[in-house]
Amino acid sequence: MRVIWLVAVNTFKETVRNKVLYNILLVAAVVLLLAMSFGDLSVMSRVQVMSDFGLATMSLTGLLLAVFIGVGVLGSEIADKTVYGVLCKPVDRIQFIVGKFSGLLVTLVLNFLLIALIFVVAITWMVGRAPESAIFSAVFLLMVEMSIIIAAAIMWSCFTTPTLAAIFTLSFYVAGHLNDMITLSADVQENPFTKTVLVILHYVLPNLEFFNIRTQVVFGLPVADGHVMTAAVYGALYTALLLLLSSVLFARKDL
Amino acid sequence: MDTILKVDKITKVYRRGFRAVRVNAVSGVAFSLSPNHITGFVGPNGAGKTTTIKMIMGLVRPTSGNITLMGKPADNPASRSGVAYVSEQPYFYKHLTVGETVDFSARLVGVKSAAVGAERRRVLEAVELAGREKSKVRSLSKGLQQRLNMACGLLGDPRLLIFDEPMSGLDPPSRRLFRSLFKKLGDEGRTIFFSTHVLEDVEAVCRNVVVLDGGKLRFTGSVASLLEKGTLGTEIVVPAIPDKLADELRADGLEVSRSSGDDVLILIPAHRDLSICQRKLYEHEVFCQSIQKRTMPLENLLYGDDIGTGGNVNSAGSTDGGNIINTFGNVNKGDGIDAGNGNNGGSDGKGAAQ
Repeated sequence: MRVIWLVAVNTFKETVRNKVLYNILLVAAVVLLLAMSFGDLSVMSRVQVMSDFGLATMSLTGLLLAVFIGVGVLGSEIADKTVYGVLCKPVDRIQFIVGKFSGLLVTLVLNFLLIALIFVVAITWMVGRAPESAIFSAVFLLMVEMSIIIAAAIMWSCFTTPTLAAIFTLSFYVAGHLNDMITLSADVQENPFTKTVLVILHYVLPNLEFFNIRTQVVFGLPVADGHVMTAAVYGALYTALLLLLSSVLFARKDL
Repeated sequence: MDTILKVDKITKVYRRGFRAVRVNAVSGVAFSLSPNHITGFVGPNGAGKTTTIKMIMGLVRPTSGNITLMGKPADNPASRSGVAYVSEQPYFYKHLTVGETVDFSARLVGVKSAAVGAERRRVLEAVELAGREKSKVRSLSKGLQQRLNMACGLLGDPRLLIFDEPMSGLDPPSRRLFRSLFKKLGDEGRTIFFSTHVLEDVEAVCRNVVVLDGGKLRFTGSVASLLEKGTLGTEIVVPAIPDKLADELRADGLEVSRSSGDDVLILIPAHRDLSICQRKLYEHEVFCQSIQKRTMPLENLLYGDDIGTGGNVNSAGSTDGGNIINTFGNVNKGDGIDAGNGNNGGSDGKGAAQ
């Protein structure tokens, strides 16, 4: 645990000293503040627009952080060979991967909390009361979703270049959100080979829409009982699986 | 522990390019290190030194063969306890300061939190970087970064220090500092294994040497035994001698030439009997001013002018010529270092055949 903690703290320091982080945060804050005035242009209420924009902004921010910092934090470490300084010590590669992931996750969570704070303050200021608790559930599920994306970014970084890893991570995110459509496509396929491939893809890829309760939050619809807990467990398991795969790949990698 | 590092017939094959062409970076290399010696790891660029060191440190997996480090398989992270590695290029996190870098490394090697500060001061003083704790690593010159690299290698009282061309690109003061550090560490009884192609460094600080070329082991043994292989003969300086005596000595296959002033230098090739010369000088009542063994510099011995083609050591009565990489048929054994297997490296006799 000591080694994981040390690597995580170092990763956290690295990410918080990265200018990309602050650029992404600045863009997120500007978009959130602009969203306050968008309500007048929409048929929805200002709070609905603000909630919709806020959650979408957080999702996009998380994705950008996972891609630009997540891929860079391991990919550039391998490319720049700074990894030698750690792995030449009595450090297991699994500890290194888990430490990297943990450091990134902490950075992401803190950033989400910061954006969420701006978001909550803005809504409270607009309507004169705190937002519905469902918004916090939505933010939490976004964090769970992003933990999967970070784990995926780390996994791709284990065996390809940072650029390709970034492209693969983005594709993974898009495919994960289209998972339901993959199922639908498989159902209407007549070619058995294509059908099999689509079915396999459906089971291999995460269903990232499972973490999206934005519609329910914006329109005040109920969220199914236990959905948040189920999604959290599902996300944690999927993340663990990706980290395990990353560890296996990284353990076999020549540095 | 009798053997601190055992490299057992390791091979590394890389696949390169679209067609995955096999490239043998290291082939069947075997040697072992006993504690408390400084061993040089020598070979030209591309000899496979860095690949071998990376395999020892668990950064690269051998295609075949085994490595045992501190009594444990090298792929076990615990084997790296008490082992320090200093790479050729300093690779540091650019976001950290000098102090943070040392602290991070110290904690990774298991230095207790309470002792980190004292340990940081100790190693930074050793490499003359004291007072630069707050400097960003990226603001340091390459030479200073390499000193910091060395400082991190000294953390946690390592028993085995592995250096991969640590003095590459350093200025003379830094080289002197590193050499004196090596000697100090050696005197403290630590085992040092360092790769270099600057043989002057090997002659200056190493007791043993491992020679690699083309990914194959060519020699392991003491530096003295290696230099013995390059003995050219015995050099005697005498005062002016009659021409007749000089002719007699030349007829016996000795080299006679002018030294400084009227002095004459007689070289008795390694394969000639020294007593013949001594007798003749005695008969003519000529007394020696000095007598010493003449050896090839390690540089010439290993590399010669044209590595791989041989035949550069024909001067002064050398019989076969050729540098060691071409010539030596046998893998030698020296103190504290053993050839792991007689079939490795130069034992195929190809060198002798050349």
